[in-house]
Amino acid sequence: MKEYTGKIYNIEKLTHDTTKVVIESALDSAHSGQFISVLCENRTLRRPFSISDFEKIENNKSLLTILVKIKGKGTEFLSNLKINDEISILAPLGNGFSIKEEASLLVGAGIGIAPMLFLKKELNKQNINNYLIAGFRDDKEIIKGYDEVTIGGSVVDRLEDLIKEKNIKIVYACGPEIVLKLIGKLCKKLNIKSQLAMEKVMACGIGVCRGCVIKIKKNETISTASICKDGPVFSGNEIIWEENE
Amino acid sequence: MNKLKTVIKNNKRELILKSPLIGASGTYGYTDEFEDFIDLNCLGAISTKGITLEARSGNEGDRIFETECGLINRIGLENVGIKKFISDKLPILKQKNIDFLLNIAGSSIEDYERLADIAQQNSIKAIEVNVSCPNVKSGCIEFGLNPDSLFNLTSKIRKNYKGFLIVKLSPNTSDITSLANAVESAGADCISAINTLRGLGVDIKRIGNKFIKKTVQGGLSGKCVKPVALYMVNAIKKSVNIPVIAMGGISSLGDLLEFLAVGADAFQIGTANFINPKICTTLAMELKKYIEENNFQDFEDLKTKIKGA
Repeated sequence: MKEYTGKIYNIEKLTHDTTKVVIESALDSAHSGQFISVLCENRTLRRPFSISDFEKIENNKSLLTILVKIKGKGTEFLSNLKINDEISILAPLGNGFSIKEEASLLVGAGIGIAPMLFLKKELNKQNINNYLIAGFRDDKEIIKGYDEVTIGGSVVDRLEDLIKEKNIKIVYACGPEIVLKLIGKLCKKLNIKSQLAMEKVMACGIGVCRGCVIKIKKNETISTASICKDGPVFSGNEIIWEENE
Repeated sequence: MNKLKTVIKNNKRELILKSPLIGASGTYGYTDEFEDFIDLNCLGAISTKGITLEARSGNEGDRIFETECGLINRIGLENVGIKKFISDKLPILKQKNIDFLLNIAGSSIEDYERLADIAQQNSIKAIEVNVSCPNVKSGCIEFGLNPDSLFNLTSKIRKNYKGFLIVKLSPNTSDITSLANAVESAGADCISAINTLRGLGVDIKRIGNKFIKKTVQGGLSGKCVKPVALYMVNAIKKSVNIPVIAMGGISSLGDLLEFLAVGADAFQIGTANFINPKICTTLAMELKKYIEENNFQDFEDLKTKIKGA
């Protein structure tokens, strides 16, 4: 983990509110499920983004991709960057997915597809059988790269059938907490593994402020874990979900 | 010669640091968490995460809320507890030669007395007392908001701890000078100020035909609190003779000079670490350059001269 100056290598609108930003930097390695935090003009906090692609182009030079969906002033700033603009990034942050050599189902709900595209690429490289299902609220939100898509309705409704049809042994997912909670519970019920990429408002991004914690249970012991440093990927069986959601 | 050498002293004790820049409690972890970004040996010190007698898991629910030019947090003193700090963290601080202030917090006077005692037994050079904690025994009113209870608390800690005792004052008061006088007369060596201001973040959205409200109540920090901190440090310095470590929205060389001009002896950097994890060393370099370019002997010389402004 380091601070890098990233140069905008390419920026491309994917939907009405989502932009693909490709950043050139000296970042040496990155793995799906890891994220970066980006300093945005006139904002107190850096903004975290899942890494959606990573490629080394030469010694000391790499390209990393994030998908930026406009939610407020920080993401608006990033969406309006121009090629060659410079930004400060902290990278790579957190622990990524722990890849298993088993039939894998990848679930990306909304902008949660971002790390799934990178994971799919990594699984393909290792010839691991995988299937990516994405869910979007409507046609306008669609981001390509999936094997199957659900528009409107819940992507979760399709999962039980898919898991059985494709003899899935592990589910990787990213999306709103409510979706991850349902996926975690479904996988528990079907007795298959799940790895879920979680998100919360973060302050430091490196584990010191304890601002983005969740409760987890490991070996019968309940403790807090920071999403930024201990996560963002957690086993669905470990997470203790907050009720009233 | 180290031009940033910082002497924080009163007529009884002194604390000598390599630089006047200290990472503020809660923003710097326990030990070497910032090692990936900066050389910790160039730092004046870190103030550790607030340590309580027993480990605490902190608050449930959302803990962070970004405001227009600041940050509200309600972490709830999540920490490993003093026992684990001594067994797991202290050896790292010692081995890596990182100067630190042990930040302590309690929910009763006995908690603080015990923590002070443990600090004494472990020869910890300096402690910073967080008095913005609710006193559970007297109806959860903060220790730090009443001069009498603050005097009592500080005296009890002083009795058990012979090292450099810093009391971190809360700004959530209408009378900061009485609080400052209370800790000075109870034998504190130094004041640090300010802790966070009470604040409320509100997020209100209309979804369909319903309003959805989310609130986060906690401590406000960041650039927006700087004028309050300047006011408080100025008022404290006018009423006590002990040194003051200033904090509250510091993020530039200009901010350092402003705080020096109202009497600060050293600085803590908090929220700005989240924006730029190298800020403490960046500011140290800028300060050194300023000292050299303006022909001051060293930081202490600058401090003396700017106070006369």
